[in-house]
Amino acid sequence: MWYGPNLQRSYKYMMFASKMPSLRIDKSDLKCKNGCDYFGNPQWQGYCSKCHREQMQRQRKAEKESSATLPKPEQKKTDRGLKITSHSSFSKFEEKRLRQSETLKKANLLKFSVFKKSSTDDHDHSAEKRLPEFKIPAMVNEGMKSDFRMKFSQLSPSMDRDARVFVHSFIMDVIKCANVLTVDELSERVQRQYQRFMRHMDTSSHFTNVDSDTKELLMDFVEKHAMTYLHELPSVVFSPTGTDDERLDRAMSERIQQLSWVGEKHLECKLDRSNAECRQLLYKAISELLGMDSALSPGGKLSRVRRACRHVLRLCSHAAPASADDLLPALIFTVLKANPPRLVSNINFVTRFCNAQRLMTGEGGYYFTNLCCAVSFIENLTAESLNMDKKEFDSYMAMPASIGGSSWAAALSLCGAAREAQEQREGAAQVLAQAQQLQARADSLAANALSFEEQIAKKVQDVLAKTPLEIKPRRELPRFGKFKEINTAALIDLGSNNDTEEPKATAKQPQPQATTTQLTEPVYTATDSVEITHKQPDTSVIVQPSDEPKLNILGFEVIERESPSKSPQNWDLKKTGSTELLTPSPLGFTPFDSRSIDELMTPDEFVTDHLPPGLSNINYDIDLSDFSGDNSIAEDAPKTENKDPFSPDGLRKTVPFDPFAPQTSKDYAVLESFDEFSFVHKNQETDPFEVVHRGNNPFSPVEMRADLENDPFTPQKKSTSILDDNDSPTSACLLPSPLLPQSSKKST
Amino acid sequence: MATNVASGAHNFKVVLLGEGCVGKTSLLLRYIEDKFNDKHLTTLQATFLNKRLNINGKRINLSIWDTAGQEKFHALGPIYYRNSNGAILVYDITDEDSFGKVKNWVKELKKMLGSDIVLTIAGNKIDLEHERTVPLEEAESYANMVGAKHFYTSAKLNQGVEDLFLDLTKEMLNKSEQTSQMDVSRTSQVLVVDDELTPVQTSCCSGSKSN
Repeated sequence: MWYGPNLQRSYKYMMFASKMPSLRIDKSDLKCKNGCDYFGNPQWQGYCSKCHREQMQRQRKAEKESSATLPKPEQKKTDRGLKITSHSSFSKFEEKRLRQSETLKKANLLKFSVFKKSSTDDHDHSAEKRLPEFKIPAMVNEGMKSDFRMKFSQLSPSMDRDARVFVHSFIMDVIKCANVLTVDELSERVQRQYQRFMRHMDTSSHFTNVDSDTKELLMDFVEKHAMTYLHELPSVVFSPTGTDDERLDRAMSERIQQLSWVGEKHLECKLDRSNAECRQLLYKAISELLGMDSALSPGGKLSRVRRACRHVLRLCSHAAPASADDLLPALIFTVLKANPPRLVSNINFVTRFCNAQRLMTGEGGYYFTNLCCAVSFIENLTAESLNMDKKEFDSYMAMPASIGGSSWAAALSLCGAAREAQEQREGAAQVLAQAQQLQARADSLAANALSFEEQIAKKVQDVLAKTPLEIKPRRELPRFGKFKEINTAALIDLGSNNDTEEPKATAKQPQPQATTTQLTEPVYTATDSVEITHKQPDTSVIVQPSDEPKLNILGFEVIERESPSKSPQNWDLKKTGSTELLTPSPLGFTPFDSRSIDELMTPDEFVTDHLPPGLSNINYDIDLSDFSGDNSIAEDAPKTENKDPFSPDGLRKTVPFDPFAPQTSKDYAVLESFDEFSFVHKNQETDPFEVVHRGNNPFSPVEMRADLENDPFTPQKKSTSILDDNDSPTSACLLPSPLLPQSSKKST
Repeated sequence: MATNVASGAHNFKVVLLGEGCVGKTSLLLRYIEDKFNDKHLTTLQATFLNKRLNINGKRINLSIWDTAGQEKFHALGPIYYRNSNGAILVYDITDEDSFGKVKNWVKELKKMLGSDIVLTIAGNKIDLEHERTVPLEEAESYANMVGAKHFYTSAKLNQGVEDLFLDLTKEMLNKSEQTSQMDVSRTSQVLVVDDELTPVQTSCCSGSKSN
């Protein structure tokens, strides 16, 4: 491997002190450029540290003398970079790559210098302005504040301040030194900063009550915030200038790509790729590894690695707990499959700038070490380490990465596709099951509806069969027909109410009255009086209507709906005649009612419940109370009653409903169910009225027609205007009996 | 560095080294399970253990790291054992090769970490005493020679496991106290010693030494 030595050289970062025993660089390459006996270092421009330091001091002095202002970071860096290239004994190709990376870094640096606003161009004010220009954005401070409050809500604000001050000075220090120190020196400095903060926590009075665990958390907190900010500055701590990190990243990535043919068999780890759960875990581990690059702080990266390794561990622990013997091969396999971006840079970043304490002892540190091992293994992978024939290995390696990769990538993506397909199949199965359930329920619902309809039809027929004949006797009333013609609906309403509904009729009437109230005093009063008068007779009369439940039914519905619309006219007609009689109304309410009503009527807002709480209202209430009792028992009446038994609004609303009531199948179904069962059984005998409702409510045209046919008057206007229809039957059946005597009395 | 004292607590890192199949993992697992059985710790893994001890009133954080024992991973050893305070070298008393491996490890550790690391040699699988191939005397004399403690353990029968870790911890405690008495800045010098012992190093290392 042409890059073997370079990669190994990089390992000094991973190992801190670079104790890698096997090293294949020629010694002469490593000697100090000055010719002293010490070893040189590319990062120190090929000098040993001693000579380098002298050199640096000389340089700095020269700088100071020359202008004392020129920071010249770029210049220095490029110098260094060039020296590295000239010094290093790499192949030409290597050099080219290195130059590339150097130029890349220069670009980064330029960006950075823009950030600093100190470039070589403005000589005059760089020195003085450099520091202030390094100001850390307030955002960082704010972020820390809120984060601290969230994590350490129980700690005192003085600690918060300490931590923030420390982070601030820490960041400033690192930025200041970044241009001067080499990476290793910088790393050491950072470590010393960590230790300083630890000492500060141990000694400062602010932290006396804090236990060691919390201190560690605080330490992490400081590290996180300082490093998160520094991480974003290009080439300061993450793949810093003067290192090969970026080049190594690319080399590593290529290497992994080239090794993509390596499978779990070569690594002797037992992974079952056909097992869905196994694949799932592998994917999770891979995604965690890939996420390492996006984490900004060393702690964040560490926790990513930890999570990835936990997945890998679960992957290996089949029966017994996983051991390191299992973990490492599986992790290597995972890394090979993941090929995480900027792997070397990330690893170096963590080794250099993570709090060494944690890196050494924590769980994260352990897994991170394993990751380092995996990377190192991949770098130095040979035929032997895979237990395979050298020739075979070479032929694999000679194969273009695309080919080698494609087969494995295909396998992996196939796994992914298979998993996806499986998931989707499961999803489809679920959907299918749901659809079937729905279908079943729909079927049952349809069956229900059918049976329900039949039941209703049957019941209606039963009822009809029981009570058909009664209509005719009522016809005897035609003498009132004249009266009907005059009075029309209004009379009908009153009459109907009086006749059939002992309680209900009254309930319905009040509403129409309210509406009528708008018209004029006399009318209203008339209605009241009529109602009242009627009611009283009703109670007495009740017994009579019981004879003919059916008739009542028909008439009743009609009455309800029609009343609001037509009532006014009717009322008008009646007013003249009945007002006087009505005002004294049976309830004993005197002119008050009429007055209040008049007032109400004048404004058009009768619809609303604004009716002033006058005596008139009281009247109504009383009436209503009567209804309410009745209504509650038999709310069968169409929506109109249900909605507002007391307010006139309801009536108005009802009007639109009424004509088409038959159409509303749902409502009718619901209502019907209730109506039929409750009303029929309970009230049938007692209240003919309810029965009537049922007949009407069903609204099923058939029944209606049947009724209509039965009624001599209905056939003329069936569907077009229910009111009319109603009128005819009502007039025929209902009105005559109760109203005639009363009205006649009144009118007369 | 590794023995750094953070707010009065000692952090020790211990690596388990040895050939594959000698029972490193079993030892660790045994240690974990006996300690944590009552806590219902799901021993998903036996690769790593963080353990808190209190010896003579001193708080100790023990991190025990298992390592992969396969031969092909031998070269990765340094990454595992750097900065560790103690190493447990495990061999199988029925397997002479594994004992030879221990000797290699000892040599390497001495070379890389010098005397900073506390070595403990553990002859595992004493439940298979009748199959013993590594002579008892040889093992103990060798341990004496390299300044390591020698223990016989059986992960299967849970013999000597507790003693092994306890003794090692005490040794490490002693050592860290000695070094901390000697010099507070000892930690930075650890590197220097390492370098002297390992003459051939990367350029970086020697550079730091010359400082």
